[in-house]
Amino acid sequence: MTMTTLTSTLPTDEIAATLATEKLNRRGFLKFSANGLALAFALPLLGRSDAADAAITTQELANAYIHISPIGTISLAFGGAEMGQGSMSGLAQILAEELMVDWAQISVVQALANPVISYTTGGSSAVSRRYTTLRTAGAAARELLVAAAMQETGDTNRDNFKAANAKIFYVPDAQIWWEYGELASAAAGMTLPADLRLTSPADFRLIGKPLPRVDIPAKVDGSAKFGLDIFLPGMVFAAIKHCPTIGGTLKSMPAKPSGAIAVVACTASHTRGSVIAGSKNAVAVVASNTWLASRLAKKMSVSWSLPLSTANVDSAQILAYAQGQLGNGVALVAEPTPPATYTPQTFAPVIQADVANAMGTPTIDATYTVPYLAHATMEVLNCTVHIVYSGTAPVSCEIWAPTQSATAVAANAALLTQLPTTAITVHTTFLGGGLGRKIEQDYIWQAIEVAMAVRKPVKLTWMREEDFGHDQYRPLGLTRVKAKLAGGKIQAWSYRTVSQSITAQRGRLKAGSVDSQAIEGAIHLPYELGNYLVEWVPLDAGVPVGYWRSVGASINTFAVESMMDELAKAAAIDPFTFRYNHFKSEDSRALATLQAADLLSSSWRKQLPAGRAWGVAIAQAFGTWVCEVVEISQPAAGTLRIHRVDCVVDCGTVINPSSVEAQMQGSILHGLNATLWGDAVFKAGVATKLNFNSNRVMRLTEMPAVRVQIIPSTNPPSGIGEPGVPPLAPALANAYARLTGTRIRKLPFFPNATMGGI
Amino acid sequence: MISLNVNNTNYSVDVDPATPLLWVLRDILGLTGTKYGCGIEVCGACTVMIDGQREHSCVFDVSSAAGKKVVTIEGLSPDNSHPAQEAWIKHQVPQCGYCQPGMIMACASAMEAGHYGDEILSEMKHICICGTYARIKDAVREL
Repeated sequence: MTMTTLTSTLPTDEIAATLATEKLNRRGFLKFSANGLALAFALPLLGRSDAADAAITTQELANAYIHISPIGTISLAFGGAEMGQGSMSGLAQILAEELMVDWAQISVVQALANPVISYTTGGSSAVSRRYTTLRTAGAAARELLVAAAMQETGDTNRDNFKAANAKIFYVPDAQIWWEYGELASAAAGMTLPADLRLTSPADFRLIGKPLPRVDIPAKVDGSAKFGLDIFLPGMVFAAIKHCPTIGGTLKSMPAKPSGAIAVVACTASHTRGSVIAGSKNAVAVVASNTWLASRLAKKMSVSWSLPLSTANVDSAQILAYAQGQLGNGVALVAEPTPPATYTPQTFAPVIQADVANAMGTPTIDATYTVPYLAHATMEVLNCTVHIVYSGTAPVSCEIWAPTQSATAVAANAALLTQLPTTAITVHTTFLGGGLGRKIEQDYIWQAIEVAMAVRKPVKLTWMREEDFGHDQYRPLGLTRVKAKLAGGKIQAWSYRTVSQSITAQRGRLKAGSVDSQAIEGAIHLPYELGNYLVEWVPLDAGVPVGYWRSVGASINTFAVESMMDELAKAAAIDPFTFRYNHFKSEDSRALATLQAADLLSSSWRKQLPAGRAWGVAIAQAFGTWVCEVVEISQPAAGTLRIHRVDCVVDCGTVINPSSVEAQMQGSILHGLNATLWGDAVFKAGVATKLNFNSNRVMRLTEMPAVRVQIIPSTNPPSGIGEPGVPPLAPALANAYARLTGTRIRKLPFFPNATMGGI
Repeated sequence: MISLNVNNTNYSVDVDPATPLLWVLRDILGLTGTKYGCGIEVCGACTVMIDGQREHSCVFDVSSAAGKKVVTIEGLSPDNSHPAQEAWIKHQVPQCGYCQPGMIMACASAMEAGHYGDEILSEMKHICICGTYARIKDAVREL
């Protein structure tokens, strides 16, 4: 088990050339000889439906491969992003299982995107959606090796061959066995058997085990290369300076400051939204080191053309507008789905009337508000670009980036340089946190533009103030929930949420249709809600928005699970029991998750010291159920102490329980930071909180005890990167209401918190 | 020219004396294990040891490091054998890994000062966004 950048036995160029031209066969594989056996396949892609994935078995280009060299080196090319979630290891673990090799016998190679061997990492899908494909690929490689052994012996009975420890054993004669490497070249010429014999889960050796991650040794000795760590001979360093006012553009090119190598105007990429995209909204100062570049950029006076109005990039004005939209905006029905006999237009009034009729006077009518949020990845945005020129014409372009989408980076490089994709190489470095921010392309565009201007290898860095000040923020959301109780049961539920659509801002949402991400966590609830209606009102605002770990679920779960708690209190029923009473019978996983959390936390909840309280919330996101139970106290007014969080997760089949635990611990911290302090504030178009001193986060010394319990399951694996985030905010608000009698409906708890130095 | 000793190697650098040591390490010497996180001494990602003391290299003028012994994560051990590194691997601490060199250097300097376990933790007020805190605590409590 190792993580390597490139192994000498791996003919990457030869493989890449084949993958760029040869299509998969009808079974979804492409096998060929390249210093041993290369078996390529297509991993399911983010944003593509399961049906589309099922159809990728023919004529598709591969985006992943396994390679077995004649000396027995076994490599998996990883075309995704390792940003801490452990997917690089998780995928290798699945492959090693079916390939019948030990954990120490497999290497992971970060693939280059040029641009074939890469894909976008997001949606908590990196491992879970690729489970079956990787198992099948591992089995296919193994069976090709078996077929080669069968040819050598002339014995055609598959049962006489056994694969284990990267060897094929001939069962009838203990003296006969082969290392995989010995068979690799011959295996490339074999026909793939019809029967791929997947390992029975009962026989798993590696899947489900807490194996050590491949990337960890390099992350404790400083050798792991993040994007910011790329260091090339002769490179220069650039620091970005955006127009502080979002939507502003460069009025005139500033003079090059003394000590600078160059000043370059930069263009906003499409990901910053259709209004801003294409404008010159930043300049980069290039110098001999990053600090000098950043100092010169900071001191440089630039004249900007400011937008005529900044009302739509002003927190107070956006909030007031959103409040109006909550009542007056055009609402789109998200759930229930209209029956076949209705059109959406005729359906909405009918269901609204039904819900209003059942509602009468609501038992509770509450509005929940969550703010814009910055991502705050520990590694700021950065990108290194080296374009080789012949005269004035670019010949090749090489990019190193901490990116969640090397594919998009390659496409943008082709667009900006006008080079063919074959002349473009993208290296995905380790990501010092991604959290959804590094799927965007703004920083990539800028770095390419600077490299084209200075014609030297250049690393562009966003200093922390630029990173906080020009993020693509989690959208603000306002949600009004009305519910009616009768006999302790919900008989009517009216849910209306107002939020900015990430998709619409990029011009990709069909007018009049619901943004599916905006209503994540609001629909497909596990509860019986009587007559119910879920509506979304799109909010037109100018803050650049983006995908923040768990996306829409972070907005809606706060509203749903806070409301469930308010209703439980109104009904004078225990919050666990109230939820049990409302579970739909088909949601057995929700029930089992809540029951496990109930049991796990019952001992401490039943003997809480005075001055402490607990709160619970449960939600499903990306196919995974997570329930969190929080214990808090309030040592003094205006403070809060989090003592512990118990977490139960059902993510289907577990690949690596240690990674699941780590992702839950991380999601809980992410949720705590957002719930207690997270708040990106804009005044007249300008982001006001620009470093960690005004963006309070939890320090190591403050972290509560977290226990994670994983529910054993044979269901298909589901995501683990994001689903732990949404339940934290409502669990904390529910605990706070229990402790103090005060219901927090507007996040964060402490909007003006600051942090001192250490 | 400023003379530096980093990880027992001598260097001469021609740079503005006010340049923070962090950027000299990263952009001039190519020692990129020490990370930039905030530039204002809040996060701890840039932590190095100078004459055995924990320092935040993002605000430490390079000229002030002249004549002193600077140790970065690259110089902590040749083979991941420092007890802190061993504990970090055993407990599978890193997620994204970006803040970990700073965490480990803070831990190592506290150990250098003769501290143990919770004493060390009380000095590690660093920021990690991934949420490795629980495993850091497990690792450090063994030291």
